[in-house]
Amino acid sequence: MVKEPHIAALDPIGLEILSNSLLSIADEAFVALMKSAYSTNIKERNDHSTAIMDPAGRLIVQAAQSLPIHIASMSGLMESLLAKYPLEEINEGDLFVANDPHVAGGTHLPDINMAAPLFFEGRVIAFICNIAHHADVGGMAPGSMAGGMSEIYQEGLRIPVVRLFSGGTLQQDLFDVLLLNVRVPEERRGDYFAQIAACRLGQRRLGEVIAEQGLARVEAAFDQIVQRSEGRLRQAISALPDGCYDFTDYMDDDGLGTPDIPICLTVQVKGDCIHFDFAGTSPQVPGNINVTLNATLASVCYGMKALLDPDIPNNQGILNVAELSVPKGTLLDAAFPAPVAARAHTCQRVVDVVFGALASCLPDRVVAAANGANTTAVFAGVDPRHGGAYVYLETLGGGMGARAAKDGKDGVQVNITNTSNLPVEAIEMEYPLMVEEYSLIQDSGGAGRHRGGMGLRRVVRPVDHDCLFNGAGERFSHRPWGLWGGEPGGHGQFLLREESGEGRRLDNKPSSIVVTPDQTIVVETPGAGGYGAPDERAPEAVADDRQSGKFSKSFLRANYGV
Amino acid sequence: MSWTVGVDVGGTFTDFFAHNEKSGQVHLAKRPSTPDDPGRAILQGLDELAAQAHIDLASVSRFSHGTTVATNALIQRRGADLALITTKGFRDLLEIGRQTRPHMYNLQLDFPPPLVPRARRFEVDERMTAQGQALRGVNEAELEEVIGHLQDSGVRACAVCFLFAFLNPAHEQQVARRLKEALPDLQVSLSSAVQPEFREYERFTTTAINAYLQPAVGQYLHQLERSLAEALPQASLGINQSSGGLMSPRRAAQVPVRTALSGPAAGVVGAVHVAKTSGKANVITLDVGGTSADVALIRNYQAAISFERRVADFPIRLPMVDIHTIGAGGGSIAWFDRDGLMKVGPLSAGAVPGPACYGRGGTEPTVSDANLILGRLSPQLVDGSMTLNVELAKQALQPTAERLGLDLLQTAYGMLGIMVANMVRAIRTISVERGHDPRGYCLMPFGGAGPLHARDVAVSLGISEILLPAAPGIVCAQGLVVSDLLEDFVASQRLPLAAESLRSIQDSVADLLDRADNWFVAEGIPEQSRQLSLRLDLRYVGQNFELSVPVAEGQSVSLDVLADLERLKTAFFDAHDAAYGYHNPADPIEVINCRLTARGGLYRTDGAGTDPEDRQSPDALSVRQVFFDPSRSVETKVYNRAELRPGDRLVGPAIIEQLDSTTPLYPGDEALVDPAGNILISIREEL
Repeated sequence: MVKEPHIAALDPIGLEILSNSLLSIADEAFVALMKSAYSTNIKERNDHSTAIMDPAGRLIVQAAQSLPIHIASMSGLMESLLAKYPLEEINEGDLFVANDPHVAGGTHLPDINMAAPLFFEGRVIAFICNIAHHADVGGMAPGSMAGGMSEIYQEGLRIPVVRLFSGGTLQQDLFDVLLLNVRVPEERRGDYFAQIAACRLGQRRLGEVIAEQGLARVEAAFDQIVQRSEGRLRQAISALPDGCYDFTDYMDDDGLGTPDIPICLTVQVKGDCIHFDFAGTSPQVPGNINVTLNATLASVCYGMKALLDPDIPNNQGILNVAELSVPKGTLLDAAFPAPVAARAHTCQRVVDVVFGALASCLPDRVVAAANGANTTAVFAGVDPRHGGAYVYLETLGGGMGARAAKDGKDGVQVNITNTSNLPVEAIEMEYPLMVEEYSLIQDSGGAGRHRGGMGLRRVVRPVDHDCLFNGAGERFSHRPWGLWGGEPGGHGQFLLREESGEGRRLDNKPSSIVVTPDQTIVVETPGAGGYGAPDERAPEAVADDRQSGKFSKSFLRANYGV
Repeated sequence: MSWTVGVDVGGTFTDFFAHNEKSGQVHLAKRPSTPDDPGRAILQGLDELAAQAHIDLASVSRFSHGTTVATNALIQRRGADLALITTKGFRDLLEIGRQTRPHMYNLQLDFPPPLVPRARRFEVDERMTAQGQALRGVNEAELEEVIGHLQDSGVRACAVCFLFAFLNPAHEQQVARRLKEALPDLQVSLSSAVQPEFREYERFTTTAINAYLQPAVGQYLHQLERSLAEALPQASLGINQSSGGLMSPRRAAQVPVRTALSGPAAGVVGAVHVAKTSGKANVITLDVGGTSADVALIRNYQAAISFERRVADFPIRLPMVDIHTIGAGGGSIAWFDRDGLMKVGPLSAGAVPGPACYGRGGTEPTVSDANLILGRLSPQLVDGSMTLNVELAKQALQPTAERLGLDLLQTAYGMLGIMVANMVRAIRTISVERGHDPRGYCLMPFGGAGPLHARDVAVSLGISEILLPAAPGIVCAQGLVVSDLLEDFVASQRLPLAAESLRSIQDSVADLLDRADNWFVAEGIPEQSRQLSLRLDLRYVGQNFELSVPVAEGQSVSLDVLADLERLKTAFFDAHDAAYGYHNPADPIEVINCRLTARGGLYRTDGAGTDPEDRQSPDALSVRQVFFDPSRSVETKVYNRAELRPGDRLVGPAIIEQLDSTTPLYPGDEALVDPAGNILISIREEL
């Protein structure tokens, strides 16, 4: 069968089939990268993303499992790349690498970005891109994520947009520099090669699709994919009542002594346009919870998509819709040399703030504040069984906010993260630690017509040795708020508990706490806010709260009068 | 005493495949399913077989059964009220799961609530360490208190799930003994018995699902055994498991969770059998029914196995045939998404009202309607039992065509294109994304609607051969007839893969071999029919997921293979290369599980196919216009599959029709009926 050149405008059927094959390319590259990488983050927590961008730097498709936070750093990279290297200076076989949040559109240093141009008939047709979170990029502390640093230089190696391959040749000199500056360079070399292989695979596959479908159809599809998603999202915005909606929430602290850090948002909806203005937000802080603009944009897009149309494909169309004003030098558009490693805590909160602002606009779809954090617990020490050092790091979920039609979820990751926990049996087999409790925290879900989700408690004891505990908590001071009369959820906390059962509350972001075998660390994550006044809660639901034991008699009496 | 009957109970039809081991005779039958009492359709079908095919039911020696009782109980949440007894501090574990949400962006979607409500999840103080030693014994006073609660609550089933019970089941067994004394009618599932493996959440939830299913499945099997004792007095019964082998009804009643994918697994076993008869070792299956399509990969005549998946949204960690399911079938409906793009499925017209062309009140445009408009489906089924209404199909597609600004043919063609794109993505998931190039495989379509779409799917994947089974609508029932008896044994213990621990590994495996031997004896499997396969689950120290690495296979397994450290390492390196594309020769490796699969071969056949007949090319049934592409129709001969004989060769355009499916043969493609009665289609080289 001879292929006919179907140059004619792509109909919705042809477009559906073509976008399906483009998505398959991104998905295949995603799996290939996951399988060949070395870093645990990539292999087992899927902290990586793959995409196809066009020569104008527009995001065309992103693999289905890609992370929300990566959507904007992809276009951040392309913007920096195209500003530095005009298309006519890019050659076949080039491959670009970057990670810097301040000069290369990144969001934190461990995320290494790559982009490889695809040429067809002598012209750049697209870039095959990916991002992967490497286990280490150098800097003061192993893992390049620790708190306590006050400028970006301490967080690791900074890479501007540069060619790692030039005309098909690996730039070995540069590669040697990259590898010398990271811990366990052999493994990082594997991560780099996994990313390079994923780029090559994407190039090959896209080449095949162009050969089969014709360039005209593929380029027409690029335009249409973006236009249709943008149109679809704008249609959803048109349905919102015009107006200004504002909201303010506070981060607990930055770990270096700055408390109660405001994030202020005014959303303006007009016709099919939506504008997010963060005027009034705190200046950037000394601690590492600062966010660069692309990560703020990604968080806003997450909130917008989750509320308006969760199934919309991730592409430039979404980024085009979100108009952002963020004053430079603030927490949400931090200027050089702000440290940003722990940006995820703040990104989580930006999503809550977007929900808070749009609550009155979308009362049926919005959810009350979630645990809005990325509660991190790190246990480190020397394993008495064999004398080797160990580090056990985990991020814990908590409550998800109550919804218009039902209660929030108990004990889950929320917003921009969805990573799984480590099994208790895995922890105890791997580390000299014993988990004594893993449970939902009674009374932590905010009361309401629909109640907020519950926080998690994990109690950990070192076995036969003293260990060191580090942690990072948010919503440990500022509780997750409720909506329309719903009560706030419980706050989180870290406790050092003695044999007697007596517990001492630690800082929200404690570091180097010594824990002995007759002590335990109690990690309690925040719950979430309720939705609607408690007196509107159905009696059966209250009865269920009592019967399940998730809420105490005194809580039920105080909130529901029963 | 030589008939074997396979019965697959599906949502719409109950299929029968009867095979005579001595004469090689085969009879097929189909009955509408009776979901309220699945056994009724089975008994009716057996009577029908007896009457029509003159089978003396007293001469049926084996009855193999694929059942959806467990699957349906899970989907409809109609299992038993049950309780859970677990380690102090961990009663919420079943509810917390892996602390994830089902969808990253959708704020309204939830996983189903746990099968055991919190009020019936009880804690008992006890603790095993990560070394399998008892740190604290079972607190008997607390246990007695729990027993009191169980009595009050009136539950019929109870799961007992303690931390590290996979290393040391003593505490779970102690509780089970006490429960049996105190509450003899209570059905008890122990995590150390149902799935004695590392990772508590997966083990607990698999055990809870087992307990949940026990009363319903147990009752069904009991009833079935009783009815069949009358109908088939000489037959031994086998129930198909999700991993694609049979177990006795007694075993199935103990571990009903193993039947959660009983039906689809039978399809893959049937496909392996068909592949063997035609000598095609590497096959991708495409089983398309009314609402969904199942795809699976067969390599060297072995179905790929996965060790964890969700069934009806519940995670189950047990060996199951690696089947990927999508919502694409003959009844799938075309619709427009908010961005104006057309989608097909997952919503389906189902059996009621069915596609518009069935004339049962359906008005939505479905895939079957599109196939009818393009002439690919016949307006009349081969035996004349049902006619399809082209006018109704056109009416159903008209609004879609208008919205697209296309004619009906282009619209119908487009719908099939989207459906095919969805199937192609599903196949890429089980092939390309797992390191297998589909171009080296043969596509085997079955189910009512598989053959209709196979050609387009094959071309999109670069596959050049299609193997069409002799009876595509009944491959599942056929799979049941050829199934082996199968049991999986596992020993979970974490050890370094190093010289000093080879002895412990050998001890564990020796124990597994003993258990397998006992099982062979108990099931009466003669030595020459026994088959063992030993795998080790290995990983690099520090990894969280292990690879299941084949170590030995055969009628017996010698412990000597476990003495050769270098060979074991090499096997792991090969598996790691295949899965991840690299390995590190120097990094330490550890063993997590030893797995032994025991198979007892039951199926016997003379193996001889029919010799090709030397005869003129077969006669066409009729001629009709078929659109292989939307621009023009081609005059196409229609053949009745029943009249095709081994050795017959057809060149497209042609349509091959049979009772349960229709196959379009594209212009230039060549079909050859092979000695086994299957049709091998070679796709014409693209120009």
